[in-house]
Amino acid sequence: MKNAHTSLSRRNLLSLSGLAVGAWVIDRTGIAASTPSAPTAPVFVAKVASYDLDLVAQFEHMFDELGGIGHLVRGKTVAMKLNMTGASGRGRRVGISAGQTSWVHPNVVGALVAVFGKLGAKRIRLLESTTRRKQDAPLEDAMLQDGWDVNAIKNAAPRVELEDTNGLGQGRQYSILQVKTQRPYIYPAFGLNHSYEDCDFFVSVAKMKNHEELGVTLSMKNLFGITPELGYGGLDPVPHGASRWTRERVFHYGQVRPPAGMPQEIDFKSNRYEGWRMPRLLTDICGARPIDLAIIDGIETIIGGESTGIPGARPGKPSLLVVGRNCVCTDAVAMATMGYNPRAGRHEPPFRVNKDPHSHPSEQMIPPEESQQYADNTMLMGEAAGIGTGDLSRIDVRGVSIKDAVYDFEAHRKSQG
Amino acid sequence: MARFGQQPYAGLNCRVKVQIAPALALLSCLGSLSNGLCNGSPDGWVPARWDGGPLEVVRREKDKAVSENASIREAIARWYDPATLDLIEGTPINCLLVTFSAGANPTVETEHRRLVKDYARKARERGIAVMGIVYPGADPQVVATAADEAKLDGLVLDGGFPAGGGFAEKLGAALRSRNSPAVVIPIAREAASARTAKASLLAVEGVMPNASDLADRGIRAGPSSEPWIDSNIWLVRSFRLGTAWRPIWIDQQPHSSSQADYARCVADSAVAGGRWIVALNDDLRTKLFRKDPDALATWRSVGGYLKFAEDHAEWRGFAPYGNLGIILDTASQNPEHSNEYLNLVARRQVPYRVIERSQLSLVSLASFQAILAVDLAPPSEPEREMLQVFAQKGGLVMAGPSWGDPPRDNDYAEVPLGKGRVVVYKDNPPDPEVVAKDMLDLLEPEVMGLSAFNVPSVLTYASTSDSGKRALIQLVNYAMSPFNSKITVRFNGSFKTACLFTPENAPLNLEARAIANGRTEVAIPKLAVWGALLLE
Repeated sequence: MKNAHTSLSRRNLLSLSGLAVGAWVIDRTGIAASTPSAPTAPVFVAKVASYDLDLVAQFEHMFDELGGIGHLVRGKTVAMKLNMTGASGRGRRVGISAGQTSWVHPNVVGALVAVFGKLGAKRIRLLESTTRRKQDAPLEDAMLQDGWDVNAIKNAAPRVELEDTNGLGQGRQYSILQVKTQRPYIYPAFGLNHSYEDCDFFVSVAKMKNHEELGVTLSMKNLFGITPELGYGGLDPVPHGASRWTRERVFHYGQVRPPAGMPQEIDFKSNRYEGWRMPRLLTDICGARPIDLAIIDGIETIIGGESTGIPGARPGKPSLLVVGRNCVCTDAVAMATMGYNPRAGRHEPPFRVNKDPHSHPSEQMIPPEESQQYADNTMLMGEAAGIGTGDLSRIDVRGVSIKDAVYDFEAHRKSQG
Repeated sequence: MARFGQQPYAGLNCRVKVQIAPALALLSCLGSLSNGLCNGSPDGWVPARWDGGPLEVVRREKDKAVSENASIREAIARWYDPATLDLIEGTPINCLLVTFSAGANPTVETEHRRLVKDYARKARERGIAVMGIVYPGADPQVVATAADEAKLDGLVLDGGFPAGGGFAEKLGAALRSRNSPAVVIPIAREAASARTAKASLLAVEGVMPNASDLADRGIRAGPSSEPWIDSNIWLVRSFRLGTAWRPIWIDQQPHSSSQADYARCVADSAVAGGRWIVALNDDLRTKLFRKDPDALATWRSVGGYLKFAEDHAEWRGFAPYGNLGIILDTASQNPEHSNEYLNLVARRQVPYRVIERSQLSLVSLASFQAILAVDLAPPSEPEREMLQVFAQKGGLVMAGPSWGDPPRDNDYAEVPLGKGRVVVYKDNPPDPEVVAKDMLDLLEPEVMGLSAFNVPSVLTYASTSDSGKRALIQLVNYAMSPFNSKITVRFNGSFKTACLFTPENAPLNLEARAIANGRTEVAIPKLAVWGALLLE
């Protein structure tokens, strides 16, 4: 299997500085270190101590400071893709709600619904693809699993709908959304639940957290959850040797092709290493379903992994909300507030990742016994694709300065052992 | 209800290791407990492990399990000071298990038993039954004579007695030869072989109930993983193979002094109708001996939880609820797997009833909608035919690969059969964890009957009475802290009232909301340790 780093020995890789390796990656992939032409947009950073504060007023203020969004949502259908990782609702630490760790918090969701309602949205749709196998399972039930007051959220605006997008949901067929970036990396298009097409204003409501394989989970990574497992073979027999998890075997590892009727990979012989594939694939997804507004909930979170099941992952309280109109810019600023360099290369934190060899196929561990692996920087991929810039010098950061906002995730992780 | 946009929004918020010594063979010879006991019927005994005295110190020294702490040693050694009986006042505890014989130096044993005889007399004067704990190494004749002289109500065998030694039989015979009414109760180390015992009181070793995060154990878990819960609910439940209730004692020693942990020990054993053999860890014992206020508060809390359990003894008569039947082969060659199905399906909040393999019939299957038959490996022809008929009528059968045509790659294959279907697993035996998790996909909510939301560190146990007109859903919180966010419960059937009973507070009436498919939904605002939701 061909891999991006097979032409260098491990020792060579380790001896290179992160930036050098990052530069090498960029050279190898034909991406410039900075793409001056990539669009930019302001990003607002706020320190918010608690979910019990007036988040409605907080979001109204942030949106105003970004120039206002009322004209974009008035009379429109607003869809919010919520980050509810593994949304069976069961990923929990003892005594702590998922909203305090790996999920967006229900108070954030409720406040956003209220604000969009006040701004005149005609319809507000809450979306997430749960890992459940039932086509018609209500998303509401997944929310109840974390104790959400679903009725309160539904009553926060005149018309609020919920849909589990892991399958067809209320649609009759999958919407094929073409990747509209300059050059798709992995997929030219995706088959998605109708909800991602049937909306006028699309919001990625993400959690600020790390990710075992990708370094960070932010607004772009949140969109991985819009891919419908049931549409991509979730009920099909699992080929021998392939991952039992649909998204892993189709997307992470590319072990199998998508089912007939779904868009196929541009080159099924391309690199199968997930650290290479996923940042590109996420960029493609963001190119197919552009994000109109990125919201990153970092008031409370899990640090050291994307879910509570990752060894070493611990709860933390960065007390941050980051909001922006451009997902790459917003994620870059959010990364900076996490204490990371948003232009970091594949062997710098957080993209120097520590993967559990027992939960990954051997071909995803290169060399096989090495738990230290890499991921490419999704923001740089997005930048190269022309979605937005990840260059902080080109981003207008409003609200609290990055310097004053920083909550050092790596330091927190190390201090927690 | 919380509102957005008008005010700041606040308020949206192991599996059990069971290992029975050869002493188990004794269970069958115990038969019904004697009615000639002076301190109430064993059915009503609320037991406490009250080990102590000089022999206990010696025994622990021998086992290298004695503390170096002088205060602890003193508390153990002097535990049979009559003043410790004052602790029992005001609690439902009415049966003390006292250290009696451990095969130690005869001088120590004799002196210790003299002490126990005096203590037991004082206990009896207070209406408390006393049982002697006997450890391996004891002489059955000597123990029987001493127990009779001390007028003990019974003897509890704790530990691994040598296989084939016939200790319990010899002890029973020696007691009978003296016309002693004392009963002999071995603490089973392993549940499977004890289940079919005809004894009317069983004791089994359990685990300390608690919840922990897999990640903290260095185990990588998926994003939908839940905290790991060690519980005895399934274990108690698994002993109820017939319709009648019988006392099951759970023996486990807490390694904590926290009030919540002790409360949980009581609740965890009690919800399915068992009783925890109340046991003190050394820290709590020592503090109680010193009359430490915090320790006394913890002890009062234990008494409160025990009282709650005994005040609602009626609930033990409720029949276990479940539209899923789990066929249990009590003669299985693989009892650990059988136990794990019972444990982990319960862990996934799927209510079930146990069908003993020997009792399998078309009649016994008639009240179920789904059957887990992986313990039939392989099913006999008559068993297969019964299950086929069950499926053809619309039921779901989940079977192991010996059913035939297992899949090559997937965990299971789903095959239509008549109006129903058969799910055939690939692995033999199927992984209990996988099977339990699959239940959530394979069973419709209405088939599960009970749907509980927001219960990651909570376990539920459902039972009914009056032909389903009354339903009782009990919940135990295994987290260290009270559960302060809303738990939503949906249950099959239309109920007009819902009342939450807890040990801490007066009964709380809750709204019973009728929802689709003839179900009832109730929201429980918070849960400290133990809640019982009664639907009528």
